[in-house]
Amino acid sequence: MRSTRVRLTCTAALAALALSACGGSPTSSSGDSGKKGGSGTTDAESFYADMEKLSGQERRDALVKAATEEGELNLYTSMTSDVADAVASAFSDTFDIDVNTYRAGSETVLQRVIQEQKAGFNGNDVVETNATELLALNQEGDLAEYTGERRDMVPEAGVFEGWTATRFNLFSPSWNTDTIGKLGGPPTKWEDLADPRFDGQLSMELSDSDWYLTLYGYWQEQGKSDEEIDKLFADMADGAKIVKGHTVQGELLSAGQFGVVASNYTYLVERVKQDGAPVDYMPLVEPVIARPNGVGLMKTAVHPAAAMLFTDWLLEEGQAVLQEEGLTPSIPSSGDDPLKGLEVIPVDVDKLLNESEEWNKKYEDVVSGGEKVDN
Amino acid sequence: MSTATPTAPTTVPSPRPTEPSQSRAARARRWLLAPKTLIIAAVAAIIGYLALVPLYYLVWGTFFDETGFSFGGFSRAYSANGIGDLISNSLLFAVGSAFLALVMGTGLAYLNVRTDVPFKPLFFAASMIPLIIPGILYTVAWIFLASPDIGLLNKALEPILGPGFFDVFTIWGMIWVEGGHLSPIVFLLMVAAFRSMDPSLEESALMSGASRITTFRKVTVPLIRPAIVAAILIMVVRSLESFEVPALLGLQNGIYVFTSRIYFVLRSYPQDLASAGALALGLLLVAVIGVFLSNRAGKNSKNYQTVTGKGFRPRPIELGRWRPVAGALIVLYFLLTVIAPLLVLLYTSMLKFYRAPSAEAFKSMTLDNYRELTNLSQAGTALKNSLVLGLGTATVVMLFMSIAAWIVVRSKSRLRMVIDQLSFVPLVIPGLVLGLALSFVYLRSPIPIYGTLFILLIAYVTRYMPYGMRYAVTSMQQISGELEESAQVSGASWWQTFRRVILPLLAPGLVAGFIYILVVSFRELSSSILLYSPGKEVLSILIFEQFENGQFTVLAALGVVMVLTLVVLVTVAYKLGAKVGLKSD
Repeated sequence: MRSTRVRLTCTAALAALALSACGGSPTSSSGDSGKKGGSGTTDAESFYADMEKLSGQERRDALVKAATEEGELNLYTSMTSDVADAVASAFSDTFDIDVNTYRAGSETVLQRVIQEQKAGFNGNDVVETNATELLALNQEGDLAEYTGERRDMVPEAGVFEGWTATRFNLFSPSWNTDTIGKLGGPPTKWEDLADPRFDGQLSMELSDSDWYLTLYGYWQEQGKSDEEIDKLFADMADGAKIVKGHTVQGELLSAGQFGVVASNYTYLVERVKQDGAPVDYMPLVEPVIARPNGVGLMKTAVHPAAAMLFTDWLLEEGQAVLQEEGLTPSIPSSGDDPLKGLEVIPVDVDKLLNESEEWNKKYEDVVSGGEKVDN
Repeated sequence: MSTATPTAPTTVPSPRPTEPSQSRAARARRWLLAPKTLIIAAVAAIIGYLALVPLYYLVWGTFFDETGFSFGGFSRAYSANGIGDLISNSLLFAVGSAFLALVMGTGLAYLNVRTDVPFKPLFFAASMIPLIIPGILYTVAWIFLASPDIGLLNKALEPILGPGFFDVFTIWGMIWVEGGHLSPIVFLLMVAAFRSMDPSLEESALMSGASRITTFRKVTVPLIRPAIVAAILIMVVRSLESFEVPALLGLQNGIYVFTSRIYFVLRSYPQDLASAGALALGLLLVAVIGVFLSNRAGKNSKNYQTVTGKGFRPRPIELGRWRPVAGALIVLYFLLTVIAPLLVLLYTSMLKFYRAPSAEAFKSMTLDNYRELTNLSQAGTALKNSLVLGLGTATVVMLFMSIAAWIVVRSKSRLRMVIDQLSFVPLVIPGLVLGLALSFVYLRSPIPIYGTLFILLIAYVTRYMPYGMRYAVTSMQQISGELEESAQVSGASWWQTFRRVILPLLAPGLVAGFIYILVVSFRELSSSILLYSPGKEVLSILIFEQFENGQFTVLAALGVVMVLTLVVLVTVAYKLGAKVGLKSD
């Protein structure tokens, strides 16, 4: 009895695998059938264009009607899961539209969309992720044009071809409040990080080349020579503890493994601080470096109305949801703008897109101490 | 004899239909349609398919770019700054960790299976724990234990050893953490090997006047050489690929290894698949040589066939006055590799944020983090999916690999070397590349499995095939062919022999492999993250999300829950395994 069942199971498993083995041979995958040509607009694009002729409540009503008929939305995002959950449930509670969320790191989101689009598989209607990846998706020609009143309210640093910033991640130094006193107080300007008083107590993150290239450009504009700037970064890296991952960095900072972190996201530090950990990042070191994260509509969206409604909503009511989650929304609500009066510079997205390899390499050399500058 | 393409000859008509040739054709047809041929052909085809898809993708991505054939990836990958240091760090780290894991894992397995060492019940479940704890948590737990600045061990031993005695941020610290994390793989392999070993050989040596140590060195070790070689092979490749330990411990002091580079080249856009591929192919070369050596060590020789037609009953060796010493060693091992990190996790999981133990810290303890776990929207789905995938992967892999191992060890097929090498290929393919390759294929395949759990199953089966194969081959090499011959002489068919004779004899190895795969598939992240779809989340994705959220204490709670779940599962698996395998006592 038992052995019969086992045998049946085995046969079924064998059959299932054999079936899958015969079908998809790697050679059957040579065609790039799904590739979009430069010409011709998709159905979704013409839908967006029609909607963009409307404005205000009229546009909202039309979108709600069409989106309700579609009934669901496929969202790919690199928002952290608590934020993604809050956003998705707020949206679906408001409009009674199911949100299917795929969540991963931004690089993985990019890979997934590119893979699917190249194969002509329309997995997502809308994508919400980091600037670098959105720039890449736009370059791939996957993102549709989007206009609207809410987009017009986003600061210039957050308006891009094919996508619109929904929030900013802020880079600023953070420190352990128990030990910072012994180190001569918190850094008040970026140059302080190169100060020998932080040797052995400063931590830098392995992949923050976006922060690096922006600060580099800022210092160039301030009239520093490349040698001076290289020296500053080399002095920072000298004796620095290099860590992979901002979360671990925040955790180790609160545990006292090091006293100062060069470039953590302020919202991550804020979160640990809220739990009562001895960490702080205020007063912010100026200029605060802001990296836009944004939303883009897919040209091939299967639910274009839901996609557009979601984008409109995220730039309007959704902004408050983001703020509640401790993020910095791209359209500051009047009154409580935490960045009011501070000098904020956006990450240099142009360099990020066109010179990323060069800057990645340079930053890698800085953190690995590969090219010490001795001037 | 056997071939992967069984269809062609049956359709060819005999040119001259004479009596003898007709019967030859009939014989050929019978042979081709025999269950043995069909099963072997199917297994060979599946292994080939699973291994070649990602390999093809990797090789193609390594050598071809928009402009055609190119070696650019190699020059970019191997000409980076400090590549010399990179190679020597990587090798020292890999060989050191493999050696440490080998010594710890083998020692424990020997004591457990072959001696009357105390604390045996504790052993099995507990020895699995380093394997279950996600690498990121295990590593961070060690930072909290042995960092020269904040390490608890350093603080505790400061009066005796002075400040900062242990430093986990050195190559030795890295080796210690990685070796401890890997030792269960060796333990499982070696337990299987020792279980299948006839102790009469050792007894003869002892009776002839050899000391216990001499016996171990001259008799025991040579008998389990196939298992040792397999363990070294897996562990060297594994530690060359390990990411968490080098990323969290090595980087702090600028110790760079290969995987840090693979990380750099894969995160860029456009993705530098060529460089990553060039690095992975370097690993493949190491692995191919390793498999070759491993086969030379284990094949064409009856030296290791310790399970023969002669009945034996493994009997534990009495340690006598060494029993307390062995007991103390085991307790020390547990304290260091299991209890200490687990306690740190348990402690962290009850805090709002990590801080050194103090009256205040203990006062602030709550179960909030565990409560938060129950609020995670996908926790139930993820647990269910992980269970289905873990059990499914472990079953499929061990079943197929036991047949594959038979082909490799027993059959005279010319394909056997190819199958052996192919089954090892996935070990060197980075998880992310495997994910890319599978999505590339199944997005274009007419089989609608993209976006289902099935694509994850294929990914997991592919990733863990090499481990299953080593477990199965190692056990197969210990089983003498005469047992099968007896069965066949007595009129059993091949399939009956396989099912009734070989599978039960292989059971210790198969159970060990099953447990290993079950446990590690709960942790698989790098290919799952690209391939999962909404509603098809798995536990490792949740872990990753908590980590990204900055919820380190919740993550610790999740780690504790995972350890408990898997300890239960592993215990059940052992209880079931003990029923089919050789009795250990």
